[in-house]
Amino acid sequence: MLVYTVRRVLGTIPILILASVLTFVLIDVSGDPLTQLRMQQPPPDPSVIELQEERLYLDRSMPERYWLWVTGIGGHGDIGLLQGEFGPSTQSNSYDIGAQLAERLGVTLRLVGAAMLLALGLAILAGVVSAMRQYSKIDYTLTFIGFLALSMPVFWFGGIMQHAGVSFNDLVGEQVFATIGDGLYQAQGEDLWGRITNALAYMTLPTIVLMLTSFASWSRYQRTAMLEVLNSDYVRLAKAKGLPNRVVVRRHALRTALIPLTTVVAVGIAGVIDGTVLTEQVFQWRGLGEFFVNAIETNDSYALMAWLLLSGVTVILANLVADLLYGVLDPRIRYE
Amino acid sequence: MHKRRKTLAFAAAGLSALMALTACSGGGGDGAEEEKEVTWVINSLPAAWGAISSAGGSVYVIQMLSGVIPFTGQYQPDATYEYNMDVLAEEPELINDNPDEGPFEFSFTLAEDAVWSDGTPMTGEDLRVTMMMSASPDEGYCTTCDSRGTTGADMVDTVEVDGKTATFKLKEGLANPEWKGMFDAHSVAGGFYPAHLAEEQGFDVEDPDQLGEYFTWLHETRPEWSGGPYKIVDGDLKNQVVKEPNPEWFGETQPALDRIVMPYNTDEGTFIPAFQNGEIDGANPAQYSADIVTQLQDMEATLSIAEGNIWEHVDINVDNEWLSDVELRKAVFTAINRDEIASRNFGSTYPDYELKNNHIFSSQSEYFEDHLSDTTQGDGDIEAAKKILEDAGYELDGDTLTLDGEEVGPFRLRSTDTVTRSNSLQLIQAQLDEIGVKTTIEMTDDLGTMLGEQDFDIVQFGWSGSQYFASNAEQFWHSESESNFGGFSNEDVDKAAEASATASGLDEAAKHANTAVETIVPEAYVLPIMAEPNYFFASERLANVEDNLQSSYRATYNIGEWDIAE
Repeated sequence: MLVYTVRRVLGTIPILILASVLTFVLIDVSGDPLTQLRMQQPPPDPSVIELQEERLYLDRSMPERYWLWVTGIGGHGDIGLLQGEFGPSTQSNSYDIGAQLAERLGVTLRLVGAAMLLALGLAILAGVVSAMRQYSKIDYTLTFIGFLALSMPVFWFGGIMQHAGVSFNDLVGEQVFATIGDGLYQAQGEDLWGRITNALAYMTLPTIVLMLTSFASWSRYQRTAMLEVLNSDYVRLAKAKGLPNRVVVRRHALRTALIPLTTVVAVGIAGVIDGTVLTEQVFQWRGLGEFFVNAIETNDSYALMAWLLLSGVTVILANLVADLLYGVLDPRIRYE
Repeated sequence: MHKRRKTLAFAAAGLSALMALTACSGGGGDGAEEEKEVTWVINSLPAAWGAISSAGGSVYVIQMLSGVIPFTGQYQPDATYEYNMDVLAEEPELINDNPDEGPFEFSFTLAEDAVWSDGTPMTGEDLRVTMMMSASPDEGYCTTCDSRGTTGADMVDTVEVDGKTATFKLKEGLANPEWKGMFDAHSVAGGFYPAHLAEEQGFDVEDPDQLGEYFTWLHETRPEWSGGPYKIVDGDLKNQVVKEPNPEWFGETQPALDRIVMPYNTDEGTFIPAFQNGEIDGANPAQYSADIVTQLQDMEATLSIAEGNIWEHVDINVDNEWLSDVELRKAVFTAINRDEIASRNFGSTYPDYELKNNHIFSSQSEYFEDHLSDTTQGDGDIEAAKKILEDAGYELDGDTLTLDGEEVGPFRLRSTDTVTRSNSLQLIQAQLDEIGVKTTIEMTDDLGTMLGEQDFDIVQFGWSGSQYFASNAEQFWHSESESNFGGFSNEDVDKAAEASATASGLDEAAKHANTAVETIVPEAYVLPIMAEPNYFFASERLANVEDNLQSSYRATYNIGEWDIAE
């Protein structure tokens, strides 16, 4: 297992290098980070522009900048992935991309973690129930809900949920659900109970929005996988041996049916992270999604590169974890 | 410190019993006197804690710092100028306005009781250091200050500080018609900054490197200082700032609110539910949204819509072989129907829109002169346009315009891909088609490069207007200006533009600016369409809150007077 893990980790290095080259080149050729400064009225003094070009290393060639971005050798101490520096930002001299990523990662993980857990739990439940009651009313109902959820755009559903939250608040005469912000500031000075209720007030709506698409697709995968397993010989044998249906499903069928879902969830992490871009925008959370939008709006090339690289690393790691989980879920798989 | 949310959060999970329990847990301070708190939205994330730098130079930073940065005056909503006599001891003095008789010279004297929030008196040194940080690095005051607007500060030769007074002398032969605005609400700093904190933080402002470090410190550090009615007590650059009254505020009107929370909200789509939910009390968004305005019109809210500072215009690339002919340009501008464009974009929610008839001044300005109405430009008069073309020797061959048998154009009609500009370009394309001028619409997401490389034949984009106009004509149309994107060159316009920029007073500058406008209109180089409207909305529970479209501070321009209605 350890050897396999090390081999897999080493195997990601060339992928990461390739990803870094592609990320850098694509972002670098996509536009001038100083466009907004050059367009200011009245135009800034040329010495101000020169100062910024030097600060952002735009006075160097693209290969030099890539080398700087990766190693930091020859820079001003604010660049070099190997030194833990993501580069200077166009947003301001004091905008520390690494610190921002770390801080916003925590915000996004709250949302992504809650959404994924909820989506996964509901998807497994819905998938199993649908498979066990194939072609029943509940199967059709869950299928309909799944396709409905798949077809709803995040920004639209987010708006609907906000209005639903406001209507609910009006109905009960209390501000139960908040529609904007992550509530961290509002939780300051609150006791534990206050912090919990505050978190729920701010997290409920965006979590539902973010988990919906994942729930929809994962529940369909789970249903298909479960049906396949339920119709397999070893399950039929287990039933024939007189094992109670609950034991057959939980101990024999579900465990095997989770393997394809593991792969889907690992790959789906990228989709959930993408979903945060819109969800965080709609609900005004200052997480990684909003970091990405800001970076685009301000032509902040180093911030964009950092976001893309982080997304790539997350997907690679998630796939690695999924590979390792196969061994846990399926006793037939052993890593040599 | 924060109003406790009476949360029924578990209701979402359908746990009604817990709903009741948590509802009871809310400690909203029953029986206690309700604090006066207002939540006012900043429409985007501020990039820094200071407004001088190129990154910090946005309306969002200015609005975030409202009530904190002291300033010497500002334009009021009705476009009249008022000095801030809380901060000033007397109106600023213009000592010499004739550069031929000696250096252009003026002085500011701050009020005797004007102090920063730590009790330190405001002095002329604050003005001097703010000026030094606003200048370009080439001036030698500051090595790394990347000021977003260096023009006024770069003119200064010497500054004499005598207690509360700072006297500025400009370099030989220079005049600054906008001298009174050097430290006002519309200046590069949005006012002026404390100098004494530099020493407290260990920076020597006479050392250019250390002044740069102080500049950076001011832009990176959340201000615990204030020179206005409020001071920032909490917040960051990602979520919100919280302001409470500055106990050292020396102004005549004392702040009436206990707290002002300013969350940063970048998605206008969230305004309506948040406003309905009581999470925000109002906002003055930078962009117009007919959809949001329509929804607000049906709600209980104070809502106002008026002409903003960004004005849209159509420019022609005069280096194009066809469009170098002024008669063709006149015909193109005559065929364009400005009213149809404005009506299509804004008519449904802002029927009182005004077409722009002066490139420099809005119709509210005391300097406004209508130089466009007497021409046919922008009228959409197809017959008049055809007549101009016919007189100039062009022929309409079917639906194609030709000159000496050769097809004219087609032209590339360009802009950025926004809804209003997309609508506009489609209309212009149809209007020009009626006089046989064929165009292809090409959108771009990189306006700066497109303009800078003169990569267009006809283009629509926006300029940001300001009450300070003296250098506008020079910037827009001077033959050596980098912002003269269409390549226009005219000696008379150059002279008038230069005279406006170097006039000794605003009246004289306005006279020259109007001359430049009058000269350029017959050249059919730039056709102004209209200023984009801006909207403002506020809860009806607020008092003394109104929009000020003359200022980057917008509704926060008088934040010290805000109150809760009785």
